[in-house]
Amino acid sequence: MFAITPNILSSFMNSLSRYVILLSLILISVSIFLIIFLENDYYQGISFKIMFIHVPTAWLSLAIFLVMGISSIVALIFKSPTAFTVARSLSPIGLIMSIIVLVTGSVWGNLTWGAYWVWDARLTSMLILAFIYLGHILLLYSFEHFQKADFAASVLAIIGLVNLPIVKFSVDWWTTLHQESSVFRIGGPSMTNDYLITLLVSFFGIFMLTIFWFSNIFYIIVEKRKIERSKLLND
Amino acid sequence: MRIIKLNNRIKKRFIFLLIIFACFSASIFLISYSLKDQIAYFVEPTDLKSMDGIENKYLRVGGLVKTNSLKFLDGNWVFEVVDQNQNSVNVVFSKTLPNLVEENKGIIVEGKFIDNIFVAEIVLAKHDENYMPQSAIDKLKEEGKWRGN
Repeated sequence: MFAITPNILSSFMNSLSRYVILLSLILISVSIFLIIFLENDYYQGISFKIMFIHVPTAWLSLAIFLVMGISSIVALIFKSPTAFTVARSLSPIGLIMSIIVLVTGSVWGNLTWGAYWVWDARLTSMLILAFIYLGHILLLYSFEHFQKADFAASVLAIIGLVNLPIVKFSVDWWTTLHQESSVFRIGGPSMTNDYLITLLVSFFGIFMLTIFWFSNIFYIIVEKRKIERSKLLND
Repeated sequence: MRIIKLNNRIKKRFIFLLIIFACFSASIFLISYSLKDQIAYFVEPTDLKSMDGIENKYLRVGGLVKTNSLKFLDGNWVFEVVDQNQNSVNVVFSKTLPNLVEENKGIIVEGKFIDNIFVAEIVLAKHDENYMPQSAIDKLKEEGKWRGN
C-alpha cells in the first residue's frame, strides 16, 4: 500500500486527467443550463440560486480539509512522501474553495438576511477554516527544506481537523443566523427533487474540476523536484 | 495473509499524534462549552423569562414574526417576535426592514429593552433550510398538505 510513490500517483492521475476535465466541463455546463431554467424559490426569489455554487464549494472545502488531515496523519506516522505531497497540493485548492464560499455567502446573506457579515458560529468557524488553509500554505513556503515545511504543515493540518465538526455542526449546536443543513439532515433533504438534482450535478462538476486541478498541482510539484534533483546531481 | 507488524517507531509516532489531537480537541471542547452563551447568536423570547437584568442590555432576540402583528405606525415598524412556546416580545424598529421580513417567517432583532418594549437597532431576516418553487406549493395546497401561510 505504501509502495505508491509520488511518481506513480502522478502518472496515474495524468493518464486520467483528460477524461476528468471532459466530464467536469460537461457536468458544469449541464448544471449552468439547469440553474438558468430552474423555477425560483417561493420565498427568496432568484437569490437562492447562489446556493448552487455556495453549497458544493462549502462541501468541497470541508472534504478537502478532511483528506488533507488524514493524509497528514498517514504521512507523519509512516513518513510517506506521497501523503506529504497530497497534503501539500490540496491546500491552495481548499483556500480558493473557502474564499468562494465566504464571498458567495456574503452576497447571498446581503440579499436575504440584510447583512454581508455577522459573527455567528457558522460564519466564524468557516473564516477560521480559511485562515487555517492560509496558514498551511504560508508554513509550506517558510522553510528552506521542503521536508521541514511538510512536517510543520502536517501538524497544523492535524490540529485543524478539530475545526471540521465545529463548522459542520455549528448550526445544530448553537443558535445561528445561518440556516441548517438542507441535504444531510434527519428526515431527508428539505428541497424539491429538481433543486436537489441540480445541486448534485453542480457538485460533481466542481468535484471533477477539483480532481483535475489537484492532479495538475501534484504533477507540477513532482516534476519540479525531479529537476531540482538532477541539478543537484550535476553540480 | 501477511501480518503487518507495526514497528516500534511507527507505534510511538501514532500514540504521540493521538495524544496531541486528544489534548487539543479537549481544550477546544472545554472553551466552546464554557462560552456557549456567547457563541449562541440570539436568544428566544422563552429564554428571556429566566434571564435577569435584561433592561438596557444589548441583546439579540430571534423567532418568528407573529401573524397579523406587523404594522407601520407613526414612521415605525411595530411587530411581535414569537417562538415555539408562544412567548412573545413587542418590537419597535424605525429603519427600513430587509426584503424578506414577512409575517410567520424567521427574524432576528438586535437592540435593547426600554420599558418592556424591545427597541431594535438592527433587524435581520432569518430564512430556513426549505427550498421550494411556487408550483410545488400550489400542488401541496391542492392536496391539502401545505402547512405554511
